[in-house]
Amino acid sequence: MEKQTITIGLPRALLYYRYRTLWRAFFQGLGMETVVSNPTDRDILERGTALAIDEACLSLKIYLGHVAALVGKCDYILVPRVSNFGRQRSMCTRFESTPDLVRNVFRNDRQKFLSYEVDEEMKKQNEEDAFLEMGRALGCSAKAVKKAYKQAKKLELAQHKERAQKYEQLYKREGMKVLIAAHSYVAEDPYMGKTVSDYLKRVGVIPVRADLVDRESALKHSRELSPTCKWEINREILGGIAMHQDDVDGIILLGAFPCGPDAMVNELITRRVKGVPILNLVLDSQTGTAGVETRLESFIDIIRFKEGKL
Amino acid sequence: MAEAKKRNVSFPRYAEYNCAFKYIVEQALGCKYVMPPALTKRTMELGTKYSPDFVCTPFKTMLGNMIEALEAGADTLLMTHGLCRLGYYGELLEQILRDLGYQFDFINLSDYDMEKKKEYIRIVRRFNPKVNPARFLTQFMEGVRMVEYLDDITAEYYQNCGFDATHGDYKRAYQDFLTAMYTAQTKNDVETGYRAAKRALRAVPLDKPKHPLRVGIVGEFYTAMDAFSNLELEQKLADMRVEVHRWMNVTNQFLRYGSGQKNLRVKIQDLCQYDMGPTSTANIWYARECADRGFDGLIHIKSATCTPEIDVMPVLQNISADYKIPVLYLTYDAQTSDVGLMTRLEAFYDMIDMRKKVL
Repeated sequence: MEKQTITIGLPRALLYYRYRTLWRAFFQGLGMETVVSNPTDRDILERGTALAIDEACLSLKIYLGHVAALVGKCDYILVPRVSNFGRQRSMCTRFESTPDLVRNVFRNDRQKFLSYEVDEEMKKQNEEDAFLEMGRALGCSAKAVKKAYKQAKKLELAQHKERAQKYEQLYKREGMKVLIAAHSYVAEDPYMGKTVSDYLKRVGVIPVRADLVDRESALKHSRELSPTCKWEINREILGGIAMHQDDVDGIILLGAFPCGPDAMVNELITRRVKGVPILNLVLDSQTGTAGVETRLESFIDIIRFKEGKL
Repeated sequence: MAEAKKRNVSFPRYAEYNCAFKYIVEQALGCKYVMPPALTKRTMELGTKYSPDFVCTPFKTMLGNMIEALEAGADTLLMTHGLCRLGYYGELLEQILRDLGYQFDFINLSDYDMEKKKEYIRIVRRFNPKVNPARFLTQFMEGVRMVEYLDDITAEYYQNCGFDATHGDYKRAYQDFLTAMYTAQTKNDVETGYRAAKRALRAVPLDKPKHPLRVGIVGEFYTAMDAFSNLELEQKLADMRVEVHRWMNVTNQFLRYGSGQKNLRVKIQDLCQYDMGPTSTANIWYARECADRGFDGLIHIKSATCTPEIDVMPVLQNISADYKIPVLYLTYDAQTSDVGLMTRLEAFYDMIDMRKKVL
């Protein structure tokens, strides 16, 4: 009998937007299949909200909705624990808790979950070690896992570089440019940030992403704005702002309610970044986009007014 | 003249630990300690006014109390590092205070790599360049000893004070102990104060039933321990004649389990595989422990928007379901009235009391 292919479910939320290429290429490199949940819709949001603790952030609620959508549709659902990439390079504690949180929320479903743990500071385990451990647990040889990881990582980095370069070109374009400072899973989710960038494009404004920059230089530049910020993604965003604040007409600090790191870092940004209009926009599970559009409209008016174009 | 150059150091109020901060700052570091005013409604008004909206509540409390400490004459403020958002408190607190126009020196432990021993000497020298490291260490350890005594006496106090047959002596003995710690200047003061308190507490006759109601407290590191922040939850419970048990304190979290809580995780492996947050392993372990030991209820305390504690809740819900132990989840924001809390506590008490009689 032919050996059945293992299918891995990837919830289209949180770290998916950062690691989709790495994950897909890695599992495919090991001869496995991946299934991704559909883009966020009303149903996913509602299911996630029902499963989450009320006070959890919108991003986690959406995530749980995506996990629920995958339950029963794959052998494993991937829920990694990403704690940090070294000192002052942490993730929000929510990325430490997700695997156990998900297991506890879905403990009555007969779903298997797959995890890997990145914790360089305390456990000296980097991403490669973590993937090796996970691949071995899935029954693959160390050699095959290493190869799959290396290839997948290469692909991921190349793709990120390409996207960052594409955005670098955008800064040189004519027209009003607005920098969106957001976690990728907020910026790209159809129920969160995508409504914002879609609207901006519709009214002729060029949205640029603060986090899509060369990560290494962004980490260095983040120190200009905040010397002790320890959250990796916020540091990338801070670095992106520091590098490009003079190339844009306005900045939108786009967060999901009530994002822990954003609540503090965005406050600091509004206190330290001067000379460019800033909109602090916090998204919750709204059913319509009218409220957001009104705020964006008035923000664009402010920019035009400031530039003498209104 | 040299005396005039001493720093006036302050750190915000945090449960009753400020007596130990005072001891360390004055005895070990040779600076003056400015005791910040006790937390009040005004503290919260100041803190809330200048804080971002959905930062966790201890940030607001500390901001308000730092303003009050500066008004009281502090010229040097200390802020700690931390594994959750606490690690970023320092930079934002300093920025907000500077924007308000206050002038002070700010020692932020997040600026240092606390994994390196050399950094500690740098920090100590910033407080006082003339400190002798060996002498500092001895007196620092005396301050640490005070923390251990404080946690020991406090735990004993909340387990028994509700059953004080004299209606007051037990509380008085505890207050006397606190006074002794806040005024201690030598190792001898600390040791004598502790022994006197132990004797005084043991001397009070208790009127405790054979099977009193027992409630375990778990939750966020600041709000679960700070009586002002949790609206004196432990005293309120104790006054209802409940034995109040709380594992979480500085001694247990840092002094005994400072280098990781591997051995606590052993007993909760079926519930969680990893550390879910800085205090999660201890909280889950203790909740399970209380359930195992047949406690009548659990209370989970956190401040609004505390991410790690929100994430612990699904695990607590499972413990509650498996062991049939009621859990009361309390979220504290900058409210200063305890009417709502009282209603919920009374209802919780009635429920666990009825269950005990029925079961």
